Amino acid sequence: MNVLNAPALLFALLAIPIVLLYLLRLRRREQTVSSTLLWRQVLLDREANTLWQRLRRNLLLLLQLITLALLVFALSRPYVDAPGGVSGRHIVLLDASASMQATDTPPSRFEVARARARDMIAQLGPGDTMSIILVDRAPRALTAATDNKAELLNALDAAQPSLHAANWSAAIALAQATAGSESPLITVISDGAGAASSPGPASGLPASPLSLLGDTARFVPIGASSDNLAITNLSLRRTLQGLAALVRVENLGDQPREALVSLRVDGALADARTLLLPAGQSVAWTVSGLDLRASSVQATLQADAGNALAIDDTAYAVNTARNIRRALLLSRGNLFLEQALVALPELEVTRAVTPPMLPDAGLLLAAGGNFGFDLFILDGLTMTLPPEANVLYIGAAAPFTVTGEFSNTAYVRAEAHPVMDAVDWRPVNLLNATLFDAPAWLKPLVQTQGGPALYAGQPIGLPDGGRVVAIPFDLRRSDLPLQIAFPVLIANAVEWLAPAQGAGIPASVRPGEAVALPPNSRVQLPDGSVVTVGERGFADTDQPGIYQALVSGARAPVRAPARSDFAVNFINRSESNIAPNLQALAGRTELAPAAATDTATSQREIWPWLAALALVVLLAEWWIYQRGLPAFNPRRNT
Amino acid sequence: MRRGRSIEFADYRTYTPGDDPRRVDWNIYARLEKPFIKLYEDEQDLTVHILLDASPSMRWRDETAGGADFARSAGASGKWTRAAQLAIAIGHIALTSGDRLLVELSTRERFGPKRGANATAELIAFIETRSVEMDLRESRIEPSLLAPAISLNAWWKRYALDARPGICVIISDLLDAEGCAEGLNALGASRLDTRLLHTLCPAELEPEFAGDVRLKDIETTATQDVSLDDATLRQYRDRLRAWTADLRDLCRKRGARYHLTNTATPIEQIMLRDLRREGWLV
Repeated sequence: MNVLNAPALLFALLAIPIVLLYLLRLRRREQTVSSTLLWRQVLLDREANTLWQRLRRNLLLLLQLITLALLVFALSRPYVDAPGGVSGRHIVLLDASASMQATDTPPSRFEVARARARDMIAQLGPGDTMSIILVDRAPRALTAATDNKAELLNALDAAQPSLHAANWSAAIALAQATAGSESPLITVISDGAGAASSPGPASGLPASPLSLLGDTARFVPIGASSDNLAITNLSLRRTLQGLAALVRVENLGDQPREALVSLRVDGALADARTLLLPAGQSVAWTVSGLDLRASSVQATLQADAGNALAIDDTAYAVNTARNIRRALLLSRGNLFLEQALVALPELEVTRAVTPPMLPDAGLLLAAGGNFGFDLFILDGLTMTLPPEANVLYIGAAAPFTVTGEFSNTAYVRAEAHPVMDAVDWRPVNLLNATLFDAPAWLKPLVQTQGGPALYAGQPIGLPDGGRVVAIPFDLRRSDLPLQIAFPVLIANAVEWLAPAQGAGIPASVRPGEAVALPPNSRVQLPDGSVVTVGERGFADTDQPGIYQALVSGARAPVRAPARSDFAVNFINRSESNIAPNLQALAGRTELAPAAATDTATSQREIWPWLAALALVVLLAEWWIYQRGLPAFNPRRNT
Repeated sequence: MRRGRSIEFADYRTYTPGDDPRRVDWNIYARLEKPFIKLYEDEQDLTVHILLDASPSMRWRDETAGGADFARSAGASGKWTRAAQLAIAIGHIALTSGDRLLVELSTRERFGPKRGANATAELIAFIETRSVEMDLRESRIEPSLLAPAISLNAWWKRYALDARPGICVIISDLLDAEGCAEGLNALGASRLDTRLLHTLCPAELEPEFAGDVRLKDIETTATQDVSLDDATLRQYRDRLRAWTADLRDLCRKRGARYHLTNTATPIEQIMLRDLRREGWLV
């Protein structure tokens, strides 16, 4: 036991005035009475009690001195060294990776880890500080170093396990940055699962990322079992028989298990099968003949035992084969062009000789309708189109004023443009080409000595459409269709005019990953809530499931916002492998008890107890004093 | 009972030579022709002795009694005042009854013997004069320098030597270390019908001091340190009760009567109710 505030012991000198007051108090008040005869007799009677009387007087003094001693001692802030406690600066790395959701240690590994952390907070002595770092994909400090237990507990209660692997390298860097020049005691509360696959430094994974922490770290291992079943893959494939789904289920435990795997297509049960899963092996199951028009597929795994982690029991996939663009080819027949268009994926081309006539076509056109086409290709034929329409003009189809023709088509230069990506125009020869009075927004992409040989542009004020690519010559009067550049050019032009649905939108992302959706797109989350995407894209992908996105904005074609679904899948084999992995965690397979529970001692201040004791003694003193004095004595009538 | 000369007829007897012929009942003689002599109750002189204790303890006043407590401040007029009132009242009754009255203070000053209601004024004057004298003496001289009070036993024994038989009323607080058993014996031996009027004031019956006090005896100037708490006061009252019970017992054994009065009790109540109930007065 030691004291923090030794000068306070000088308050003990207050005992001197107390004793002096007692000595002064012993001078009795003199009272003349008619006779002391009876009093003498009374005192003779009380002779036996005199000792008690004297003792009582001394007892009061004694109690007062004890009270003073206790208070002075409390003021000096004594402390005891409590073994095994938490003292000094402390950093707790709390694993919040997905494997911490495993329920092999009820209620869950994360709850157990939280309880351990809570214990440590409870052991925190006055003046000891702690900071908690939640280690998931992006480790972050829940609190600054603080000795405020309530703040720590609140932060701890708010922490939730994530769906990601833990980034131990970042966590350790953060811990070291938090530690600064000091060397705090670092405690790692983790199951170690997935730590081996944690993204490490560029040079590769160290044998133990946590070995960087040095000797001050101690490890609190969590988790007991490796029993887990997981869907490690779900993929869709377009076949001649329709859509085929491949489900791969892995048993990561060390016991053979059975699992019922069910496949749902657009929410309706399509197939289910009980799979026998040998220990440590995976089994693939293929379901074919699914509807090609299905939008999404969900695989679910059910097992009675040996499945500690629930998050990896469901996988989702979206059918990307649905994202078809529609193009109207208005042509008298152009084999080269048709071949080039057919080769493009996810493009449905309708060929017509005359423009489609609808009963209220004029109304449609006036209203900006586009007959449901994403793209118009006008090969020598003309058609009245709304300004928002994306059009590829070929030959004389362009609605621009013709100012002349030119034949000197020697290549000069090409502008950098998405349409010209990987297009080599140099070997192209033209017989003659039309010279347009092109609007200012329609930029020439290929300059020849006679004039531009290719235009592309978008009218200002039509951000969502009205893109135009113009080829001002008849393809049959050039060797362009024979060049390698032609399919590339057509593909580029189609892609630029009508971007593929969901382009840039991956079919499946991991939880927490951002999806580059255009602003103002609306996304319906798996739980039914709808989020409007802001300028920074969509990152609200914390729930596994199918996300239904209505894509709008710059990349969307003229027609109404296109639906583009994507799946958020947990599938993460290293996190599904929930086997507690001390090797990966600490670089050791066994934790010595001394390492697990450090011999750290903490300073427990005991002044609250002393103050409470002082209060008790004071109350006792008051009670004894009160009991010993006559109460107000109403005179009785005799 | 001695037959004597009085107006109270008692009996007849036959005349024998030597009797006073004036006492012959001539009416009887005329009727019976035999001389009879009328006998009357002998009007024996009844002497009432009042022994009034004027010791310093009787002169003591409760200085702590405040004016707020009305009953107590009435009692605080002091034992002496009350004792003097009682002496005068009893003396007056004796005088009006035609008895001889003899009043003696413990300072040996004596009033009487007197007889007749006219003497009441003299009695009052006597006691007032002595009171004033004592007040003056006490105000001039330190109490400790006053002559030590005579012990009750010595006073009563001496008084009993030449006392004519009769009623002896003692008004005292009986606060004497020696007690008063011998004095009572002596008084009884002198055929005095002793009546002890024990006068105590509230401060003695129900002391209300508090804390640590040094009690100083006004007579002996002895001091006594007392830490007064409830237990001590309870023991004091027990002690007081035992003491008065002892005194009452002693008186009964000596053929004396005992009555305890509180000076806070109104004198009317003492005279008209308490003493009548005790049978001291008719």
